Amino acid sequence: MEEASFMSSYNLLKLLLFSLGVSLQGGETRLSFDGNNKRDPLFIQNGEVLVYSYDEREDLIRAVRVDMADVKAGPTPIFDDGRSHQTEIAYSPDGRWASYSECTGNLTGKLVIRDMDAKKQFEIKHGGRGAYRTPAFSPDGKRVIYAFAETGPMQLWSVNLEGKDKKQLTETEGLTHWPSFTPDGKRIAYANSRENNYEIYIRDLDSGEEKRLTKNRLMDIRPRLSPDGQRICFVSTRDGNYEIYVMDVDGGRVQRITRNEERDDFPSWHPNGRQLVYASERDGSVDIYLVDVELPQEVSSK
Amino acid sequence: MLGFGNFNAQDCSGPTRRSFIKTAAAVPFTIGSTSQVLEAAQAAQKSGRVKSVILLWLWGGPSHVDTFDPKPDAPMEYRGPFGTIPTRTPGMHFTELLPKMAARSNKYTVIRSNVTTNGGHPGAGTVGLTGFEENAGPIQPNFGSIVAKHRGSAEALPPFFYVGRGIPRDLPRRIEGYGGGTLGKAYDPFLVSANERGQVSIPQLDLLDGMSPKRIQNRKKMLEQLDLAERRLDAAGIEQWHRTHQSAYGLLADPAARKAFDLTQESDKTRGKYGQTTFGQGCLLARRLAEARVPYIQVNWSEYVETFSPNCDFGWDTHIFNFELLQDRHCPILDRAYSALIDDLDERGLLDDTLLLAMGEFGRTPKISNRAAREHHQHCYFSIWAGGGIEPGRCIGESDAKGERPITRPITPLHVGTTIAELCGVGAKERAEMKVLDGGSVIHELI
Repeated sequence: MEEASFMSSYNLLKLLLFSLGVSLQGGETRLSFDGNNKRDPLFIQNGEVLVYSYDEREDLIRAVRVDMADVKAGPTPIFDDGRSHQTEIAYSPDGRWASYSECTGNLTGKLVIRDMDAKKQFEIKHGGRGAYRTPAFSPDGKRVIYAFAETGPMQLWSVNLEGKDKKQLTETEGLTHWPSFTPDGKRIAYANSRENNYEIYIRDLDSGEEKRLTKNRLMDIRPRLSPDGQRICFVSTRDGNYEIYVMDVDGGRVQRITRNEERDDFPSWHPNGRQLVYASERDGSVDIYLVDVELPQEVSSK
Repeated sequence: MLGFGNFNAQDCSGPTRRSFIKTAAAVPFTIGSTSQVLEAAQAAQKSGRVKSVILLWLWGGPSHVDTFDPKPDAPMEYRGPFGTIPTRTPGMHFTELLPKMAARSNKYTVIRSNVTTNGGHPGAGTVGLTGFEENAGPIQPNFGSIVAKHRGSAEALPPFFYVGRGIPRDLPRRIEGYGGGTLGKAYDPFLVSANERGQVSIPQLDLLDGMSPKRIQNRKKMLEQLDLAERRLDAAGIEQWHRTHQSAYGLLADPAARKAFDLTQESDKTRGKYGQTTFGQGCLLARRLAEARVPYIQVNWSEYVETFSPNCDFGWDTHIFNFELLQDRHCPILDRAYSALIDDLDERGLLDDTLLLAMGEFGRTPKISNRAAREHHQHCYFSIWAGGGIEPGRCIGESDAKGERPITRPITPLHVGTTIAELCGVGAKERAEMKVLDGGSVIHELI
């Protein structure tokens, strides 16, 4: 039943994009058209809205949104502030809360947690001048997990929606980034660099038990759990440049998704669980694309 | 003996003017008269092997250990998160952030033993571009100004261009050594920029009240406008204005000169190779200016060193987000633009007499900071040399196991500037006459 629902929304999305005249080639759909540098695409509101950050000017990275019912209309800013860089935006499951990394001063980064309905926001306070990165909401929408370097290595931390009740989740060597929750909220996948380059791990939040999912001499980064929690999309340079891959949640059945000679990066899942949205460089221009992903049973064993 | 005053200058290998004179005197019955041989020798010496220099100024201090001099065997608190990949140069590895450049290392040579004397941006910027400290005074000329004075203009185009948003600076102030220095403001760079879509802007022509080449119909109207603009300047700006006046007129009146700025002359494919970024399109503009035989073109990565600050254009000063920005932004842009530029120069036959140099003002601390980034490091950094007679495919100089200090001969900005000058035909005698690059010597290993 759930699968049928996914299939239905998947086909509806393709039909909608086709009717809008948006290009569909090889199971791939282009969702932006200006070619400026882009990053961090994410579907919200059950796939009806796409958000991402892009270089609005040579001195400004801005978070924007695109209504999927009118992709060709292009992006509009999410926030009024047109002075601060806004990157790595995340949304709570109910869409009410957003969290993003923001720069408001020289070498001053902060992580904002914003109530989009009440238009009020909270900031996370740490000692030092480290950089806040990669926020993610817990599936119950009550906490935000993020990366921050307070006294050296970049670690994962957790706070409530008011930026309080701060807890350190990891205490490891190397840099730790890109946390992503399983749908039950019991585990997080992330990347860490202690093995000489970024590898992907998954950790049980209660026991702290950690399992390494990738073993590769080049980077494996930006893991994102699929909506059903069974698979992880990620980026790797193992085949010569940035390409997007999908693997099972236990690290098995690695599937290469993109084969573009240029850079494919920043993947995240469409809520239908059958497509990935990502930033792709083509002939020197960067735009957002949506690509089909085969279901696990359709993928041959690695 | 030719007197070089009190300047301790040294020539690179190859025929110098002095050796030409000796040769001509010893062999008087060669083709043509002695005077003809001397004239030819003087002309060759004046031009040098290099017709154009393109300096990619990586402003802000790129991390050497996260790019071109990785240290994968260093302790955890030093080595970064990036894997390494082999290059086409035997034994030389880069980080995985630079695959395109790694695949082209047979076209250039890397120096891994650069050092400088200043650990702050404006000061190190001046040292890096002039060879001397600001506070020693007076401000010495930019390497480009020296070449510009020696060569003069190429047709209607100014001899020294800055391609970028503005004169390099940090938030408090701009660098002092950006231009003519002791040679005078007449040898300041002429500023031009290209945005990510290849639209070129020439801020110095803003003085002309928005007049564009298309609006200039005749010389009389042009001169009226130029005179009007001159009256608005104070006395201090007159010298600069006369040069701008001439350059502006040249640019606006000469169709060939204007053509050098028109990136629409390039195919979409070519423009795409450089990338839809200001630096990428700036590199393409630099190639066009080199093609027009402009003697010196400095492409500034950014105006500001600050990498993540409001209104700043993402320099390499990665006190925060070092690893993140190198991975997500800086290295992909550099990798693409540099690779496109060197391919383009090579394919067009320009690399033989165009010197392409990429460097910043210093490196970054090999030890990772307590905010998971890297700070300024003046004691070791890199430079990348191609074309203009540089023997490619090599790695010159070596840093220690952590990338903290050179373990081979340190290469200073004065070495860099003297080498550029020599390759451009600014020999020891000319440097002495200009009173520039005092005490400098050539990086012989490059030639």
